[in-house]
Amino acid sequence: MAYFQTAKQVASLLTLAACLVAVPFVTNDYRAYQLGTYLLYGVVAQGVALVWGRLGFLPLGQALFFGLGAYFAGLLLIHAQDNALLYLLLPLSILVPALLAYLVARLVFAGQYISGPNFSLITLALTMLGAQLANQFTGLTGGFNGLANIPQLGDLDRYSSMYFLIVALVLLSTALLSWLYQTPLGTLWLAISQNENRLQFFGFATDRLKAGAFALSAALAGSAGFLYAAQQGLVTPQAIGFQLSAELVIWTAVGGRFGPYGALLGAVGIGLLSSDLREIWVHWEVLVALLFIAVVLYFPGGIAHLLLNAYQFINRRSSTHVPAYAVAPKTPDLRAPPIQSYGRDSGPVHLRFDNVSVQRNEVSILNSLSLAVEHAGVYCLIGPNGAGKTSSFNVLTGRLARTSGDIFLGSQRVTGHRADFMARAGVGRKFQIPSVFGGLSVTDNLRIALWSNRAQARQLLESTTRQWRTDILDFLENTFTFLADQADKPAGELSQGQRQMLELSMTLLAEPRLLLLDEPCAGLSTVETQQQIEVIVQAVSRLGSTALVIEHDMAAVQRLSNEVFVLHQGQLLANGTLKQMQDSPLVQAVYAGGQK
Amino acid sequence: MDSATVTLLLNLVYHVLVLSLVALGLGVVFGMLGVMNMAQGEFLTLGAYAMVVAQRMQIAAGWGILLAILVTATLGYLVERWLVRPLQTRPLDTLLATWGLSLLVRKGIEGVFGRQYQNIPQQIGGSTQIFSVDYPSYRLALMLAIVCGLLVLGLWYKHSTAGTRLKASVANPVLAQAIGVDVKRQACMAFVCGVACTGLAGALLAPLVRVEPLMGIDYLLGSFFVLVVGGLGSLSGLFAGAGIIGSTQVLVSTMLDQTYGYLAVLTLSIGFLWLRPHGLLSNR
Amino acid sequence: MSLPAQPNLKTGLVVQHISGGYGDTLVLRGVSLSLGQGQVLGIVGRNGVGKTSLLRLITGHLPVAGGTVSWQGRRMGKAPAHVNRDLGISYAPQEAVVFDALTVSENLNLRQRNLYACQAFFDSFPLVRQRLNQKSGVLSGGEKKLVSFVRVMAEGADLTVMDEPTEGVQQENIALMAAHVRQRCQQGASFIIAEQNLTFLLSVMHQVLVLGNGETVFQSDAFDREGLEQFLRI
Repeated sequence: MAYFQTAKQVASLLTLAACLVAVPFVTNDYRAYQLGTYLLYGVVAQGVALVWGRLGFLPLGQALFFGLGAYFAGLLLIHAQDNALLYLLLPLSILVPALLAYLVARLVFAGQYISGPNFSLITLALTMLGAQLANQFTGLTGGFNGLANIPQLGDLDRYSSMYFLIVALVLLSTALLSWLYQTPLGTLWLAISQNENRLQFFGFATDRLKAGAFALSAALAGSAGFLYAAQQGLVTPQAIGFQLSAELVIWTAVGGRFGPYGALLGAVGIGLLSSDLREIWVHWEVLVALLFIAVVLYFPGGIAHLLLNAYQFINRRSSTHVPAYAVAPKTPDLRAPPIQSYGRDSGPVHLRFDNVSVQRNEVSILNSLSLAVEHAGVYCLIGPNGAGKTSSFNVLTGRLARTSGDIFLGSQRVTGHRADFMARAGVGRKFQIPSVFGGLSVTDNLRIALWSNRAQARQLLESTTRQWRTDILDFLENTFTFLADQADKPAGELSQGQRQMLELSMTLLAEPRLLLLDEPCAGLSTVETQQQIEVIVQAVSRLGSTALVIEHDMAAVQRLSNEVFVLHQGQLLANGTLKQMQDSPLVQAVYAGGQK
Repeated sequence: MDSATVTLLLNLVYHVLVLSLVALGLGVVFGMLGVMNMAQGEFLTLGAYAMVVAQRMQIAAGWGILLAILVTATLGYLVERWLVRPLQTRPLDTLLATWGLSLLVRKGIEGVFGRQYQNIPQQIGGSTQIFSVDYPSYRLALMLAIVCGLLVLGLWYKHSTAGTRLKASVANPVLAQAIGVDVKRQACMAFVCGVACTGLAGALLAPLVRVEPLMGIDYLLGSFFVLVVGGLGSLSGLFAGAGIIGSTQVLVSTMLDQTYGYLAVLTLSIGFLWLRPHGLLSNR
Repeated sequence: MSLPAQPNLKTGLVVQHISGGYGDTLVLRGVSLSLGQGQVLGIVGRNGVGKTSLLRLITGHLPVAGGTVSWQGRRMGKAPAHVNRDLGISYAPQEAVVFDALTVSENLNLRQRNLYACQAFFDSFPLVRQRLNQKSGVLSGGEKKLVSFVRVMAEGADLTVMDEPTEGVQQENIALMAAHVRQRCQQGASFIIAEQNLTFLLSVMHQVLVLGNGETVFQSDAFDREGLEQFLRI
């Protein structure tokens, strides 16, 4: 598959290279010079497409990084004429924007576990600030009139040979992004835009992944800015401010935000067109705004996606919205490396809740809950609604802040840690309403689970990582046959029951030592419930893990486990065998509600 | 106290009050209803340009204010009905669609009025002696109007049936519907009021600020900072946020520079997002 | 298992083979019931069987996937939930039973201006009168349920739907609540009450519907305590 994929990518890249290189010969140097500027904008737009189209958060101030790169490079080039050592500092025009981007993203994403409008508004504010600073510090930046008299880069004549350096950057950036998109990391990026919450429960620090991608986009913008300064010889606050940032978003949207080619198309197509039409037709910009709204509402893939659809229609292939890679021909299996033990004790897990209370606005969600699980196996958590069952899972996995008390995993105190930390500590969770990556294929969903706690950073860039298999995966595919039969179907198109089974499979594939299953049989038919229970019991015994299962169906409880914890009003009411619970008048009172 | 300090304090109070007025709209639309309206600033722009229209048609400023409210309320209704409601469950798409709308409004205004700054005369000219300094009368009148307006609003929200019903609808829509309150209509009316309020702010501020097509963005950002610091969903949060952001901006701008003032406010907001993402007094 | 006689279609509630759920899962399948004037229907079952979902389907808070609900001869299900109050249906949900940010008195007269209708209830439950000016958020769970009960009873609707009204409420008050329900029944009002507390239900209901795993397990107007307790045992 790697070969097929690479062949397609190389072909596209070569076509692009041929088209771009041909331009100065087919037209003239001046047209190439114009195109060059918009190609640089295109590289910045590719960064916007990475962050927005792939990861799902919208940067409204990308010109800040472009402008920073341009001003930095401009200043260095000017002063390097006197002191050649300054040439060595030129990479700073790429590094500084990247570092700034990383820092800002980490800070903004730290406080909340999903993206919201905060990031977009902060990037907007930053670009406004950037323009203000550029206008203000006239001594450094030349103020409103800009930084002028920037010499060209080395021997590259800005009206002829510079163009080819720009083309080289475009090809490099396109190749890099195309490659990254089809690595496992690219799949993780896509997963973030679809269900970031879920990805955290597989141990991935999504805030760091997002910040890293944003830093990459800023690096691309900075490089483009660098060449821009050399090409134009002049950098004004226009290059760092709001107008350009807004246009970048429009170009990316209209061109196509789901891939690097679309972004290029948008910047060059719409951008060049705008620069010509803007003066002639006063309503051009209103039309573009309408086009943007239309794209957002009806054609999220932009022109690139429409063209792709047309091409595939002509070739009579079906088009799906699932982007990127082609179907893999059968490849030899690769046994996955073992689970990384990030400071875990080996052996069965001991879970202990020590007087854990959660208080919210006078309401006691958990009221001094104390329970302990000493041995491996399956345990059921039962109790009336509002007893605190799901809340106990939430407080264990960092989704609910505790007011007092502590939670221990083995000898390790794990109170108050984030969801991804807990996942890396070996806690796996399955949600009551099945939570999977709807836009990704079944296979990709399973792969992400396989990479959990197993794949190191380097391996996320290797395509062989996709070929990993484990014994548990073999076992699951034998039981849940649809996992293999419908491997390429987007998970969102599975039935509810199949999604339950898929999510259970994913949770098991991560081989957690503590499994938290929240109503794993909800919505399943009788036959499916039996299968699900069988899988849980067998998998847990194979893995030697501990499972806590929240269930309402007493028949299921009976088959799953002998040990039961009864929760009531945020406390542990009783625990023991199911028979003991059935005979206990205390427990019956809570359920039969007679003597209350 | 010397006159410089008095002037500084007056500027501070002025700034905090204006910020409260401007952020009120976003406080209702985003803080209460949870709609990220990226075009909120453009409603302010529309309000300001209504005054431009009034001036060109040579009618009294009062009509201009009325026009501002009418235009923004109508547009607000259309936006709520056709953009916000269908996209209710997809917040990123709401952000995108309203961003597209803001683009359209900016380009539209630019097309009709051009990019140059517009000049609106102050309806109350001259200055008044207050605390032994001379301070522009229009500003003083505006400050007084804002204080009265916010007081009335606060009392209405706390004590009127309509205010209580709104509070209830937002906090517990299921129960509100069970009692027979039309929650959808409440949300629509609250949205329309939220944007009309921002439009009114634009009309009132028009004589005092730079009126140009891009003016709305700074006000969107300012309102956003106020909500980040103060917290969502409560009037007291709004004041706290406006107080902190306004004071910081005025003090740093006076001591150093306008740009440093902006930088201070931005740093403060990022700090809050990092360390205290729900703001000071969140109701959510 | 005998079904009660069909009530007069013009004045009662008729539910036929109703199903509904969340996403593409059906949590309730093929449940039918009918209720006439002055009658109380008790809904019994363990947690997770679909009691709350059934009540939500009837009161329009959950879209009906299949089957019909008719009230006083009119087909329900098309209009949004808030019109039901004007059609004579009151609803007290199981969770978030009061508006925490509002005072007790504001909770009670949100739609109607008269605390007068609540007078009788203040006599039975003096603690509600005592707390009139307190923010409801500080009340205990049982006290909130009482306020919710007073509110929904004071609305005086033809059909009152209550989801676990006695949860957390003290013994003495539960008996008084039952007395009020019986009194309203004699005046012709109908009730649907989902409950865990069999003592309370047995003192008010005329028919029972037992749910299990989203379906009807038992339905009759003849029932006894032991029989019902069996359905609730784990």
